[in-house]
Amino acid sequence: MCAFVSINGVGLNDLLERASQLSDKLHSLSTSLTNDLDSHFPPVGRVMMPRPSMCHTSSLQVPNDKDQALKVPEDELLSLARSLLLAWSDPLALLSSEASSLAHPERNTIDSKTKELQENINSLGAGLEHMDSTSDNLSSLPFYTNSLGQDKTSRLVNFHFLLSCFRRDSSHKIDSFSSKFSAAGQPRRDLRCVREDMLSKCKTGPLFFVSKV
Amino acid sequence: MRNSGAMLILTFIAILILQAAGVSPPGKPRLTSCRSPEKETFTCWWEPGGDGGLPTTYALYYHLENSETVYECPDYRTAGENSCFFNKNDTSLWVNYNITVVASNALGKNISDPVEVDVVYIVQPNTPEHVTAVVVHDEQGPFVRVSWEKPRTADTRSGWITLLYQLRVKQEKDKEWEEYNAGMQKYYNVFSLHPDKEYMVQVRCKPDHGFWSEWTQTTYVKMPDYITRERSLWIMITIFFVFIVVILTWTLNVKRNSVKLCLLPAVPGPKIKGFDKQLLKSGKSEEVFNTLVIQGFPPTTDYDNLLVEYLEVFDNEEQELVLDGKDLSEDCMKSKSPSDIDSGRGSCDSHTLLLEKCMDGREGSGSNQHQYSQHGETRWASTESSESQGPEPGSPDSANGRGKTWPVVFSSPQPQPHHHYPVGAAKPAYHSVPEILNHLSPHAMSSNYHQLNHQDILQQERRFSKPACRHSQSYNQFNLDGIDTSAPGVAPSPSLEYVEVQRVNPENMLLLRPLSDPNREPEGSDCTREDYSKVKEVTSNNILLLQRDMSHQCVDDYSQADQCTTQQPPHPCKPAVHQSNSGMPQEAIRVMGNGYVDSTVLINLAPST
Repeated sequence: MCAFVSINGVGLNDLLERASQLSDKLHSLSTSLTNDLDSHFPPVGRVMMPRPSMCHTSSLQVPNDKDQALKVPEDELLSLARSLLLAWSDPLALLSSEASSLAHPERNTIDSKTKELQENINSLGAGLEHMDSTSDNLSSLPFYTNSLGQDKTSRLVNFHFLLSCFRRDSSHKIDSFSSKFSAAGQPRRDLRCVREDMLSKCKTGPLFFVSKV
Repeated sequence: MRNSGAMLILTFIAILILQAAGVSPPGKPRLTSCRSPEKETFTCWWEPGGDGGLPTTYALYYHLENSETVYECPDYRTAGENSCFFNKNDTSLWVNYNITVVASNALGKNISDPVEVDVVYIVQPNTPEHVTAVVVHDEQGPFVRVSWEKPRTADTRSGWITLLYQLRVKQEKDKEWEEYNAGMQKYYNVFSLHPDKEYMVQVRCKPDHGFWSEWTQTTYVKMPDYITRERSLWIMITIFFVFIVVILTWTLNVKRNSVKLCLLPAVPGPKIKGFDKQLLKSGKSEEVFNTLVIQGFPPTTDYDNLLVEYLEVFDNEEQELVLDGKDLSEDCMKSKSPSDIDSGRGSCDSHTLLLEKCMDGREGSGSNQHQYSQHGETRWASTESSESQGPEPGSPDSANGRGKTWPVVFSSPQPQPHHHYPVGAAKPAYHSVPEILNHLSPHAMSSNYHQLNHQDILQQERRFSKPACRHSQSYNQFNLDGIDTSAPGVAPSPSLEYVEVQRVNPENMLLLRPLSDPNREPEGSDCTREDYSKVKEVTSNNILLLQRDMSHQCVDDYSQADQCTTQQPPHPCKPAVHQSNSGMPQEAIRVMGNGYVDSTVLINLAPST
């Protein structure tokens, strides 16, 4: 059975809507950051760019396609999202600290956007934590890197790489919250779920958490 | 060594020959785009670089980012020429595909540049379907409701893909489209479209992170011809006001005159008789004002004579004696009571005059007065006895030594020598006209009389039925008679009587009659109603013709007048009753409409006598 649930006085619908808005914003920010970086990226950097499998979150197992994503239970999806968000808090802190000293003509814009990114990630993580307080299923994705590099080129390349990893993780993984809990065409107010049973018994669309492999 | 050298030379020659023949290995193909319509499959298209004159085959190879296994495109046909279609099984999301295309022909092959593709970033949905635009009639006015379906392939129900829609509208002739964002809903209401116009509508969609789809085919919708409520309201208001204006204009037109009077009140122009406005406009004030000036006005010294020449009060000697001294002064003072100065009897009973007379009387020689008295008494007796004694109008008794033209007024009306009025303070210094007249007849009346000749005294006892001209001598004697007959009713001295001029006889005598005369003709009462006599005209002999109202009661007067006429010679008796115009004086007499004679004429006549 589903009943309308509110968490800390905020309805579930509203929480989900906020989450979706945040994730959408994250994606936009990361995309624009990537474009800004690409505008003056040295060609040698593309060669030096590490492969996407080098992202520290690549070990996270996420569904690859639609069928897999639809089959994943929602609580697993939620824990996946939370794990991802948790894994990115440290790297984003590094990025924001390094952004101002990048060898890039648009470092100021990049700096501001990075900081905004960090704020959004933290609030989204906090919100998701309310939705699922169980932290048992969280995967640990430690980030050991303390600095981006020694010379400016490598720092720039690493910055770009890290950002691309984040973009990939954020775009459709966390962003997928939004529309999944409000299946297209279904008004969100119809959502009535008990928090504990929410992910399994909710009649709405599933969470889709896919991270890159 | 020689073989390899020979082989090289042969190859070189072969290439030259081939190049001379125009064939070559294929050109480098190029991947143009890869698209996924629903985030489940995707397609890649490439562009051949040139076939080199020989049939060329193309092959697409890819490998995923985290493996080295190279796969070839599973489907070259579904998507058409030079394309590769990846179905669901072959599509992995959030994975980079490294895709290359290899072109090969008999002479060689060519490999394109590799392209990294992540399927989730290349989503471009198909166009929306079943776009409909209908006109909805609302009370506010009609509008167009556009509705559509999602593209068939997009799985929005499960939330796998979220689509945002957009539509655009324009008229055929417009250059720019009007775009509207519809969000995630599948309908949209378009307002503010012009009536009786045809519009084109198109819709497209986009996933939340992806590319916009193509626009749909144009859907046409025609707006009905309607009048907006606002415009109809304005039309009604305009008509109403025009109507009001028309009504007002017509009313003003009808009442044109009264409006003109109201707005532009008439300015009274000068309406002075004899005043010529034209002269005023010409600016010569002298001429203008000269017309207003009447020559000879104010009257000159003659006028003074006219005014000043009034009745002279003449007292008896006895009276004089009595009045000497204190009494005289008292009486003279009495005569000066101011209340009577302006009475109608002015010339007759003027106090100032009397005062003068008092003085004069005092100063006058006693002999004169004695003469007067004697004469008066004597005369009186004679008067009384005779009935029709011709008047002695102008007997210039030298007793009246003064050049005054007015008869002397006697203060003593006593008919009999022995009869004396009680002399006393009670007796006023002035007397009423009848009393005066009692003494007038014997006295000199200068020929300077113009107008009034107070000589004749009408005997009271005689009835007025007799023509007064016969009794020219008999005038107001009522006081005397009254005294004779000791009629107590008639108070001799203090009463003030108004005298009415009855008529003028040919001898230039005024026939006076007191207003309170009981012997007046009863039937002539109407005739005597008016206190004043209107002067009709003045004859050549300076006879005032008085005017009376034509009434039946005055018929007797007419008869009397006729008798007068028969008896008397040449001066036809022209009582004022006849308003005849024969033999009128030649002088221009301006008789005003109300019967009054213009005084200016009188003045003009004055010196002519």
